[in-house]
Amino acid sequence: MPEIVLKGHRVVKGKAEGEAIVTRDSISFMGGVDPKNGIITESGAELEGKTISGKILVFHSGKGSTGGSYMLYDMAKRGTGPKGIINIRTDSVVAIGAVMGNIATVDQLEKNPLEVIRTGDYVIIDGDAGIVRIRKT
Amino acid sequence: MYLTKEEENMLSGNMGYAVQKSMEILVTIGEIYNAEKTIPVSNVHMPGASIVAAGDAGSAFVEEIAATGVKFKAYTTLNPAAIDFERWKEIGMTDEHARKQKKLSHAYQSMGAILNHTCTPYFTGNLPRIKQHVAWGESSAISFVNSVLGARTNREGGPSALASSIAGRTPLYGFHLEENRKGRLLVRVSARLASVNDYGSLGYYVGRICKGENPVFTGIPTDVSIDQLKMLGAALASSGSVALYHVEKVTPEIRSADEAFKRERPTETLEFGKEELKEASEDLSKAQSGEIDVVCIGCPHNSIYEIRDIAELLKSQKVHSNVRLWICTASSVKSLSDRMGYTRIIERAGGIFMCDTCPFLAPVKEIAKRDGLKTLATNSAKLAHYARGQCNLYPHYGESAKCISAAISGRWD
Repeated sequence: MPEIVLKGHRVVKGKAEGEAIVTRDSISFMGGVDPKNGIITESGAELEGKTISGKILVFHSGKGSTGGSYMLYDMAKRGTGPKGIINIRTDSVVAIGAVMGNIATVDQLEKNPLEVIRTGDYVIIDGDAGIVRIRKT
Repeated sequence: MYLTKEEENMLSGNMGYAVQKSMEILVTIGEIYNAEKTIPVSNVHMPGASIVAAGDAGSAFVEEIAATGVKFKAYTTLNPAAIDFERWKEIGMTDEHARKQKKLSHAYQSMGAILNHTCTPYFTGNLPRIKQHVAWGESSAISFVNSVLGARTNREGGPSALASSIAGRTPLYGFHLEENRKGRLLVRVSARLASVNDYGSLGYYVGRICKGENPVFTGIPTDVSIDQLKMLGAALASSGSVALYHVEKVTPEIRSADEAFKRERPTETLEFGKEELKEASEDLSKAQSGEIDVVCIGCPHNSIYEIRDIAELLKSQKVHSNVRLWICTASSVKSLSDRMGYTRIIERAGGIFMCDTCPFLAPVKEIAKRDGLKTLATNSAKLAHYARGQCNLYPHYGESAKCISAAISGRWD
């Protein structure tokens, strides 16, 4: 299976791999996701009703409530959060939550991850090196 | 990132676990965003002050830090809690909500926070000055302090705001730097903006398009009120992640739109006319049924002027028996409302004050499920945006006079 390797910028160190779920939207982890099950609840969002739990979550950036940092941390502790995060640019609210929850996070990839990665692709994040490997399905 | 000897010492653990953990958080953030050093801050507004926003994990973290006995270096105000400390039973919060929230609030208080839980700390005495570096959370307050007051903050989440309160520092990056404060996107407003919610509609529309880019508005009247700017910023921060906007001839950092762009061209120019105003407003109304369960005015928290207007509309009226009318504000603003006689009028009509909290940060999803509440009417674009996701209530959206009429009739027509 061909593998695509993209270099980017380390936000949070650590390694994570799993199935990708991709959206062009920005996400508010407070008020936009149910922390009990990781289901996106924002009305009209591309992923509304889908779960991000245990996935490699690929999205534009953070937005909205600054409660998002503790919510992402809370989801990581409950085991309902994403395994890893890939952003165009990680906003400070998401970055702080990912640091607290030890969620491997990479941004500013050399190619637009929203175009290269499709939902269902198998993605490996090496947060330490700031590298993402993508296996297309 | 460059650290002073004192900061190295703080990071080493010599000054205790809480100081060490705070420096770790600030250095990690600074390294992510390539900050060259930290800068001192003496003013913090703390998000994650509600158990709903902090979650069990966040609450445990804050309480663990407080248990070390550490004291805040910075003057610190708190964002809304999950309960009204006097009327929580009447509103529908449980003993468990109250117990957990009092524990969390006490933890913040023991470190030195001022116990006035509000998203509008600028109405209650926390008023940073132009160019002052601060560390604020609460998306609507961030946009107010950066834009309307001209102070400088990044979008601080709970852990980084706590770290700044303790360490009295924040990493130098983002909105603390002049180059990141210039305008990026031009918005020409031709629609006639009348009520506060028209400003919410404008913010909601623009936030969705500009994502995190700083918008510059022209065409907004120079006598725009503080409540209108509050609504504009709250909506911009909800549909986008806008932390800073400029308004020609209104906000203090720029004298003209041209100056805001620093001789660069806008990345995009948007027109906001009658059609766009109508579109944004319709987009925020999701409810099908005409029956209303909850009416909420006060997201962000009401000013005393807004409470005066609500009292005026409720004089000699009765709220419908099927409707809960929630008026959200800071407890110190309610004290003033008591003195002015507004509280008596509102409560006599059947309205309920919700101080120190709001539907977004209270456990309203649980209350709605238990009591079978389905729809909410509000004049707030921010609350209408979050109502389904956070409260499981379908929103009706319109000006406050229309919301109060709905509270009286029990229907949205």
